Amino acid sequence: MKSTFKNRNFKYNGRAILCVAIGTGIGLLVYIIFLILHIDIYGWNLGLIFAPLSAGYVETIVANRLLGENIGAISAFILFIDTTFYSFILKNPTLGFNIITAGSIIIILQAAFPTLVNYILLVVVGGFLASFFKTIKEYENKIKNMIKNQQIFKWETKDVEIDADAMPVYDELESNHLINSLNFYFITSPEMFDRKHKIIRQFHSEVIVEKDNIVLQAEREKTEYLQLIRIKDGKDECLVKLASKVKQHGGNGIMDLTLNYSLIGFGGDNIQITAMGTGIYIE
Amino acid sequence: MILTSSSTLENKKIIDYRGLVTGESLIGANIYKDLFSGVRDVVGGRTSRYEEELQKARDITLNSMIEKAEQMGANAIVGLKISYDNLGGTMGNTILVTAYGTAVKYE
Repeated sequence: MKSTFKNRNFKYNGRAILCVAIGTGIGLLVYIIFLILHIDIYGWNLGLIFAPLSAGYVETIVANRLLGENIGAISAFILFIDTTFYSFILKNPTLGFNIITAGSIIIILQAAFPTLVNYILLVVVGGFLASFFKTIKEYENKIKNMIKNQQIFKWETKDVEIDADAMPVYDELESNHLINSLNFYFITSPEMFDRKHKIIRQFHSEVIVEKDNIVLQAEREKTEYLQLIRIKDGKDECLVKLASKVKQHGGNGIMDLTLNYSLIGFGGDNIQITAMGTGIYIE
Repeated sequence: MILTSSSTLENKKIIDYRGLVTGESLIGANIYKDLFSGVRDVVGGRTSRYEEELQKARDITLNSMIEKAEQMGANAIVGLKISYDNLGGTMGNTILVTAYGTAVKYE
């Protein structure tokens, strides 16, 4: 049993090596043809791209036929090392590092390690670009706010005292009273205590409030105060909307009420407030 | 005032539903505090300043709820939910602390 397994393994490895050898041979052949025919752009031979590509392609086809699976385009990697060594070091040791060289290295690497390079291009480069644009947007907001506050030429370091008369006021108790005078039951528990009730269905409502970016440290306290008021108002509006929806369906309460606050939009410019729960009719 | 995340109160009978109570507070963005916490994160140890701020914000939120519940004649809050949401911010992190529950009266 053991020797059968060993033989099978040996046979598999032999075939795999053959696939790599065929791929490498074809790749070398392609590179030689490109060299002989001088297929190049500004002295840069295109065989550097097509040799590893053809090697990997041929190896994959042969491996699929002989082994029934892909073995990872090893010949493309061998060709990549061979051609790079020959072209960049032996043949043209003075070839400098420029945008064409950098681009070609990326293309060759992409041929040799498609998954890794595609991951880097999509995730790392994509992430970098997203972060870059976010930073640009933040600076844009910063400049806009500076102009708005006429503070472009001065940078205050002390916190600005809040002028209570000039600021909007949110009366906590009054707001709470209003929410609870809607003739509607807001129950945060997942079950109702000692009351007979009929379940209608799931309901939800959303409200989006604008988010302030704190640009000047001096304005921090004021900005946060206004932001919090906007969030509280948004929450009240969201609850009123939810109650209205349930009432439209003949309900008079909501059970397992859940409130969510999350950032939405490019760069998280807005705050989404969501209220959800199970609409009920309490007898 | 009893605060509980469960729907019922052990050995106590809820006799009346008084309404919804909510509370919100923000932990402000502060570049100096953020820098300090960042350094603490790198060298190890607890970022106690942030913990204090979080605790302070939670206390404000819960006290706000309790005040409302008392005004409504309740003596307990059931189904209490507390959440912490990061609202980001150019100068650092802004954390929104929210809490809500059902004010009830028990005997």
